[in-house]
Amino acid sequence: MSIALDQVTKRYQDQPVVNDVSIEVGEGEFFVLLGPSGSGKSTLLRAIAGLTGIDHGRISLHGRDVTHVRARDRGVGLVFQNYALFRHMTVADNIEFALRVRRMKAAERRARRSELLKLVALEGMDGRLPGQLSGGQQQRVAVARALAHKPQVLLLDEPFGALDAKIREELRRTIRSVQRELGITTVLVTHDQEEAFALADTIGVMNHGRLLEVGQPHDLYAQPATRFVATFLGAANLLLARQAADGIRFGATPVNAEGAEPVQVGREHEVVAVLRPEEVEIAAAREDLSSNYIARGAVEEIVFTGALERLRVRLLDEPCAAQLLGPSGNGEARLEITRTQPERRALPLSQGAQIAIGARRLHVLPTPLSSFLACGATEAEAAALAHEPLLESLSIRMKTRVVLRAIDGLTGSPAPFSGVAAIAGGGDAARTVEWLLRHGAAEVLVLPKNAPSPTRVYIHWTDEAARRATLAVAASLLRHVSAEAVYLGIVPEGRSATGRAAPMRALLDARSEAQQSHGLEMRTELAVGETVAELTRNLSAGAAQMLVLGITDITDAGSAYRSLLAGQPGWPVLIVYRPPESRAASDNVVSGTAA
Amino acid sequence: MKSVGQREPNVIPGFGITLGFTTFFLSAIVLLPLSALVLKTAGMDWSRFIEVIGSPRAIASYKLSFGASMVAATVNMVFGFALAWTLVRYEFPGRRLVDAIIDMPFALPTAVSGIALTTIFSANGWIGKYLEAHGIFVAYTPLGITVALTLISMPFVVRTVQPALQEVQRDLEDAAETLGAGRLYVFRRIIVPTVMPALLTGFTLAFARAVGEYGSVIFIAGNKFGYTEITPYLIVIKLEEFDYAGAAALGVVMLTISFVMLFAINLLQVWGRKRMMVSR
Repeated sequence: MSIALDQVTKRYQDQPVVNDVSIEVGEGEFFVLLGPSGSGKSTLLRAIAGLTGIDHGRISLHGRDVTHVRARDRGVGLVFQNYALFRHMTVADNIEFALRVRRMKAAERRARRSELLKLVALEGMDGRLPGQLSGGQQQRVAVARALAHKPQVLLLDEPFGALDAKIREELRRTIRSVQRELGITTVLVTHDQEEAFALADTIGVMNHGRLLEVGQPHDLYAQPATRFVATFLGAANLLLARQAADGIRFGATPVNAEGAEPVQVGREHEVVAVLRPEEVEIAAAREDLSSNYIARGAVEEIVFTGALERLRVRLLDEPCAAQLLGPSGNGEARLEITRTQPERRALPLSQGAQIAIGARRLHVLPTPLSSFLACGATEAEAAALAHEPLLESLSIRMKTRVVLRAIDGLTGSPAPFSGVAAIAGGGDAARTVEWLLRHGAAEVLVLPKNAPSPTRVYIHWTDEAARRATLAVAASLLRHVSAEAVYLGIVPEGRSATGRAAPMRALLDARSEAQQSHGLEMRTELAVGETVAELTRNLSAGAAQMLVLGITDITDAGSAYRSLLAGQPGWPVLIVYRPPESRAASDNVVSGTAA
Repeated sequence: MKSVGQREPNVIPGFGITLGFTTFFLSAIVLLPLSALVLKTAGMDWSRFIEVIGSPRAIASYKLSFGASMVAATVNMVFGFALAWTLVRYEFPGRRLVDAIIDMPFALPTAVSGIALTTIFSANGWIGKYLEAHGIFVAYTPLGITVALTLISMPFVVRTVQPALQEVQRDLEDAAETLGAGRLYVFRRIIVPTVMPALLTGFTLAFARAVGEYGSVIFIAGNKFGYTEITPYLIVIKLEEFDYAGAAALGVVMLTISFVMLFAINLLQVWGRKRMMVSR
């Protein structure tokens, strides 16, 4: 590995800006770190360069641990957004800077300089001052300067940020060809997805200090695992669909898509599906569609953008319209569609036209957290809960919605629950949790009043059968809060040394599974003692802590873990329930679909 | 209305008026008094002029005035830079207070600072008594004059270097560091050259201020004949003797030397700025 980051964490005033990031970049690879501003990508790049110290983790370059090596001894080349050229030196002196520092002979310096100037197509500019060059030329000089000392790694921090579109494209091509020619391992930081697609061998998407997903550009675009990546890389319509053992439905319409995880017969799960604007097909009538029909719609807005035509369409079927997630998570969303010019000519549309909509390709996200259902004894209580700061910020960050639901008296057989049920913490919470789980809810979030956004999330499961689901939920949650994840393994007291080997192994298994299956970097801690007491002790050890608790026995919630839910002031607890026979049942479903 | 389109429109109107005002003010406030000075001198004959400006006493005073000012400005260039550096680069409790104290010498009547310095550095003053125990005499010596000039010219350097330092992008230092440069190297080759123009301006202002200083110096100087007499003091003596022509002659010498030095520094700066070509 050319660059290896292992659980790198950097905090500013206790807030992690880079949170448990592990990356491996291969020899000669062009890796692009993509994320919105403030996502921690630049900090991470500076950490690789050695300009920023890290609080936790390890950084190695070509197998050499450089975590504590100074920037000047790391052998990296760094290019800045604002060029950072030495304005009082000529182009020649700028490029030779690193060579002068290394006391290289004048003749050798000259030879290297002309070699580099040729590489970036700036021959003959040696005597100029940076102020006499255009922005694009200055950045070329900066690239040449960064390469002078033959670094093993080239780092570029938004190098095209200050340039206009035409020059940007030209410089992009130069950098790509220089990188190919030298075969140098390169990391580029940008917020521009088009730039990432154009340059990257591999893209890593960051948000809130976490590395959300890593993959080849095409894979990330076609099969994102998270809402954030789906919407940040290109445009995306997010739909809430329901997955049962026999398939996936959007509103009342069955759709041709596959869920990320099988669902047990008799249970239903809400899933989030991505429909790219260009994957939407429209026709005058349902029969004319060549793809899977999903709903009818009315054209609200038509925008001509040159190569493409952009449409905003309101869905006419009520149940479907309600399942479309808008930018603010409410049900007022519109379906975004793009059409090519030939498509437009085949079916010219005007505002208000009614059309049939089909989905050529629908991708179901593997996230188990789809939407929230705020439950209260009355509608008003539910509404109050929906305005809890933590729930509000979660729903905004997850671009999903919070539906209100009155669950009066915990009696009768309620309509199916979809998404994560949220209830208020306090005395009755345990009983409510148990009731919700019995009636089909799979995840319940217990929220104490005014709980802050957590800075640390503990993860624990009572039974290994709940491990997979709990990790999936925790990983999904942690993509949307900047908290550190800690798996807490608990060993009963009085076990012999040999008896502790098994829990230790479980601990390591949990960590590697979290990393491999869910891209979740978590730390592990082992506690000795009684489970509830240990959880309570750890949760009360600091402010702003949260628990994700996986169970397989419904009665657990009401009895053994009762005190965790009823505590004052209490902590947010997210309970993940999967029935113990889940394993066998899901195997059936898999073989059923195969047949 | 028709004529509006004729001339090239300027962003800021009124070039004629502003140039007129500039010329008028410069003439009335600076040039006129200076010409009067020269005219007054022109009333003397050459031998008398040479005698006044060439007397050993006068020559000693030039050496002291310009020498002490040069030393004071140089000291300020170093320590003023350090002060500005501290204020710009570090966040510490009381930073704003220190920042405000920098300007104090501007506001203080110079006589007050002169008397204060004399009190502190005289043989039985707070600092003076310890220094004199080690054979260092500050009050009534050229050293004392230098101390006073350093004090009153210090803000000029700090205030000109401060904004320049603020503009030195951290990125430049980071870039140099990733290229393998050590701290000292970065300081010598990147930071100092970048703030050099500002530093020179600060030096010039400090020097100019020190040369013209009178109030604070006469108290701590003690004005011993041919030893701690600064040129402005000699001018005052000539005035008290009603030798206006003599005073003017000394004034012309000061003016000439100052102008030559300031002009030289200015040229140096223009040359430096051309090299920088800060075009944005």
